[in-house]
Amino acid sequence: MAKIGVFVCHCGENIASKVDTGNLVKALSDHPGVEICNEYKYFCSDPGQETVKRAIRENNLTGVVVAACSPRMHETTFRKACAEAGLNPYMLELANIREQCSWVHSDKDQATEKAIEITRSLVEKVKRNNELKPISVPVTRRALVIGGGIAGIQAALDIAGAGREVILVEREPSIGGHMSQLSETFPTLDCSQCILTPRMVEAIQHPNIKVLTYSEVEEVDGYIGNFKVKVRKKARYVDMDKCTGCGDCIQKCPVKKIPSEFECGLGNRTAIYTPFAQAVPNVPVIDKNRCTYFKNGKCKICQKTCQIENCIDFEMQDTYEEFEIGAIVVATGFQIQDTTLYGEYGYGKYKDVITGLSFERLASASGPTAGKILRPSDGKEPETVVFIQCAGSRDPSKGVKYCSKICCMYTAKHAMLYAHKHHDGNSKIFYMDIRAAGKGYDEFTRRAIEEDEAEYLRGRVSKVFEENGKLVVRGVDTLLGKPVEVKADMVVLATAIVPQPDAKEFAKKIGIGYDEYGFYNEAHLKLRPVETATAGIYLCGACQSPKDIPDSVAQASATAAKVLGLFSREQLEREPVVAAVGESTCAGCWGCVSACPYNAIEQKEIRDRNGNLVKEVASVNPGLCQGCGTCVTFCRSNSIDLAGFTEKQIFAEVMAL
Amino acid sequence: MGIQEQYRSEAAALLSSGEVKLVIGFGAGSTADRRRPLFARTPEEAQKFVLDAACIANLSTYLVAEGLLSDGKKVGVFLKPDGIRSVNILISEAQLKPEQVVILGYAIESGKDVAALEGRNISDFSIGEKIRKLTPPPHVIEAAEKIEAMSAEERFEYWKEEFSKCIKCYACRQVCPMCYCRRCIVDVNQPQWVSTSSHTLGNFEWNLVRAFHLAGRCASCGACDRACPVNIPLRLVNYRMGKEVRSAFDYVAGENSDQKPVLASFKQDDPETFIL
Ligand SMILES: Cc1cc2nc3c(=O)[nH]c(=O)nc-3n(C[C@H](O)[C@H](O)[C@H](O)COP(=O)(O)OP(=O)(O)OC[C@H]3O[C@@H](n4cnc5c(N)ncnc54)[C@H](O)[C@@H]3O)c2cc1C
Ligand code: SF4
Ligand code: SF4
Ligand code: SF4
Ligand code: SF4
Repeated sequence: MAKIGVFVCHCGENIASKVDTGNLVKALSDHPGVEICNEYKYFCSDPGQETVKRAIRENNLTGVVVAACSPRMHETTFRKACAEAGLNPYMLELANIREQCSWVHSDKDQATEKAIEITRSLVEKVKRNNELKPISVPVTRRALVIGGGIAGIQAALDIAGAGREVILVEREPSIGGHMSQLSETFPTLDCSQCILTPRMVEAIQHPNIKVLTYSEVEEVDGYIGNFKVKVRKKARYVDMDKCTGCGDCIQKCPVKKIPSEFECGLGNRTAIYTPFAQAVPNVPVIDKNRCTYFKNGKCKICQKTCQIENCIDFEMQDTYEEFEIGAIVVATGFQIQDTTLYGEYGYGKYKDVITGLSFERLASASGPTAGKILRPSDGKEPETVVFIQCAGSRDPSKGVKYCSKICCMYTAKHAMLYAHKHHDGNSKIFYMDIRAAGKGYDEFTRRAIEEDEAEYLRGRVSKVFEENGKLVVRGVDTLLGKPVEVKADMVVLATAIVPQPDAKEFAKKIGIGYDEYGFYNEAHLKLRPVETATAGIYLCGACQSPKDIPDSVAQASATAAKVLGLFSREQLEREPVVAAVGESTCAGCWGCVSACPYNAIEQKEIRDRNGNLVKEVASVNPGLCQGCGTCVTFCRSNSIDLAGFTEKQIFAEVMAL
Repeated sequence: MGIQEQYRSEAAALLSSGEVKLVIGFGAGSTADRRRPLFARTPEEAQKFVLDAACIANLSTYLVAEGLLSDGKKVGVFLKPDGIRSVNILISEAQLKPEQVVILGYAIESGKDVAALEGRNISDFSIGEKIRKLTPPPHVIEAAEKIEAMSAEERFEYWKEEFSKCIKCYACRQVCPMCYCRRCIVDVNQPQWVSTSSHTLGNFEWNLVRAFHLAGRCASCGACDRACPVNIPLRLVNYRMGKEVRSAFDYVAGENSDQKPVLASFKQDDPETFIL
């Protein structure tokens, strides 16, 4: 006989103000199978839990329903309480009468009616619950970090520093990400490369980190603690082990006029190249699409120049390597938005209209102008530079709705760097708001205004055009309420920060969620900001949302802490909510095999006593199954059931409504 | 020699050589314009085969009879293009092994002439292109368009009316090659998802379940439509589901024999209008 205890929580006033808990208790007390029904202000409190435990012991309860908040909040709390009182923790159900009832209704009578139905339906379910035992699975204590920007590097260093192995996969020829392109960094104006390169070197030299550059993740299978990851190492045509990084090949390559991606097209590179001088690893790659040999079958000058035998190998092929991985950190960063969206700003038409990232290269000591801020068109020093903030951000009609967060700061930085290098230069900044929240940030923008005399004009720019050899920026100054026109020698657009162009496809490949733009979703914006909804996959850096370096690094360390927490155990306890196939009715259509997102279903042969094949049926591997239920809904012959959510349980729940 | 004689002797040859253990074809029916399935196990029996424009049934449904193919032996079968399409679906759902099916293919042209189709193995028939271009007969499209033009309420009333006629005889299920489950969901009574008595609600449950179970799997042979003793236009339901699946996922059932089940697989460019 079922003996169910029902515990109705007031959640202070959260529930009690909209649900007549007295009536709820009365209704449930009369429900068949309910042995005891109580109400209390906070069942999640210590005395509240004690009441539940005592009731279980004193009444020999066979099941418990706590009518309270969402199971996402306190399921664990009450499961533990049940276990402590000697009841199998899976004999507990939470009836959510807060999020799904009191918080969303205003009519008390109706809300009470609904709360009664919700609770009854869970009583009917719990009567049919079975005792379940957690499954334990081994944890492979090796992490995969995808993306070698500052976020990925930091996460890798922290995990490796705690003694765990890390595979760091970067698709470009060098690690470093966007930070390696920056000149000096707000809010302290330290040289970006000077603070980044030591980290890059530390990563590549770390005995626990295996850095795979020019490589991409092809496939991710498995689940938390037990991923199988296939990495494609793209053919570099240069042997990583043999190359000394002397750079002779680069010197001799006849194809010299390829616009360098790293220099935002402001400088050139060769067909065999390293993206920048401090690249890590310092081993060049051959750009197959530009190389004369690959195009015409003749050249190989680099190979002839190279002092080391067989170091440059034109026959090299992509290779694949598989890794067993316990946790995955996604740190794939961002891109800047395509500037062609704003034809009226003249980007692409006028050489001296550039992006903020190009400005970083001009201001960088290692850049194409050796740190002198010169106009791309004629190499002259600009006397007036106009900066346009929110060139794409906070613009729902053309650009993106969100604030890119870092542009206010780097534009102030740009104005400062310009002032430091051109003492008589004028900088004018069109802005919507100055958003400078952060340690030392507001002080920084004040400094740009007060010490470095950046002139801020509040308003948007409608057009940039050329007149008598000068750029003219037409906009409004909303504080004066007047249209303005500013003559400029150079215009810098603070383009929006957007996800990587392949962010959505990549998310699908590895199985994580993303928002409408393609930024990766965290499991909970406030409470689980570095975990994804997929157990064992974590996030850090600008792939989640626009972020500056301090935020990216802080989040990277937080991610590392999560990974190390997972790696602190050899075994992982998993919820026993897994599917099982009814072999007698399975038709062997293999639909579930293809439906299962975790590849948890295999084909199994059923043989008779004499070893003759009777039929083939589906079979779920409980170690791999995540209990998502996809197969259950797919199976036409209704042959699959999910422990903890069996059809009988769900049916009883529905019928109780 | 007409196609009927040709296929009689081919069937007889297949049987006498032992290549197949059985040939499924058509024999004379109860009236002059009806044909009934004939199962020939000897060359003599093969002489009774009839093949003419009245042979419209989709015989592939017999291939999934329990135990028929479990001995690994081959079976010959008379199939029109829709039957060949069914075989593709059944192979992709692992219900048939391609090497076990010998196809005696034929097509009925302009409703009266019967022509032989080249090839004997499923791989000989590259029907994908043809299926993509296939359009249902004008009267089906016309009827479908009429229903599509209705308001949601009118449509509901229409189907309520139609489904209320259902007597739950399951003839539609019996005749459908794709309904090969050994235990159909309607026969599950622990719990009883679909009520078995024939009242409108239970009928709705049954017919909707079947519509979903056939989404992206229907070969448009029309067998259910013909089988239904109370003339529910079942073909319209399946036609509509096929159209949905095609427009959403660019998927046409039975184009080839290694398709993945459309509702259990995804392409990276699938529309996701239902996910925010
Ligand atoms: C113009 C400009 C100026 C800035 N100035 C400052 C400043 O002064 N101070 C400051 O704090 N911040 C500044 N920032 C912000 C700073 O660049 C970012 O905070 C930082 O780069 C974020 O690091 P990340 O590692 O998350 O991303 P990224 O730097 O973008 O690195 C991501 C890495 O992942 C790799 N990757 C991407 N996809 C894959 C894949 N599928 N597989 C393998 N690898 C992949 C990329 O190649 C890249 O190397 C500036 C940004 C811009 C645009
Ligand atoms: S979907 Fe159902 S019938 Fe098909 S293989 Fe899986 S369990 Fe068996
Ligand atoms: S519930 Fe089914 S589909 Fe989901 S993981 Fe388990 S076996 Fe795969
Ligand atoms: S054949 Fe017609 S009457 Fe019979 S179960 Fe199917 S829909 Fe109902
Ligand atoms: S209706 Fe569905 S469950 Fe029933 S036999 Fe057909 S496919 Fe199987």
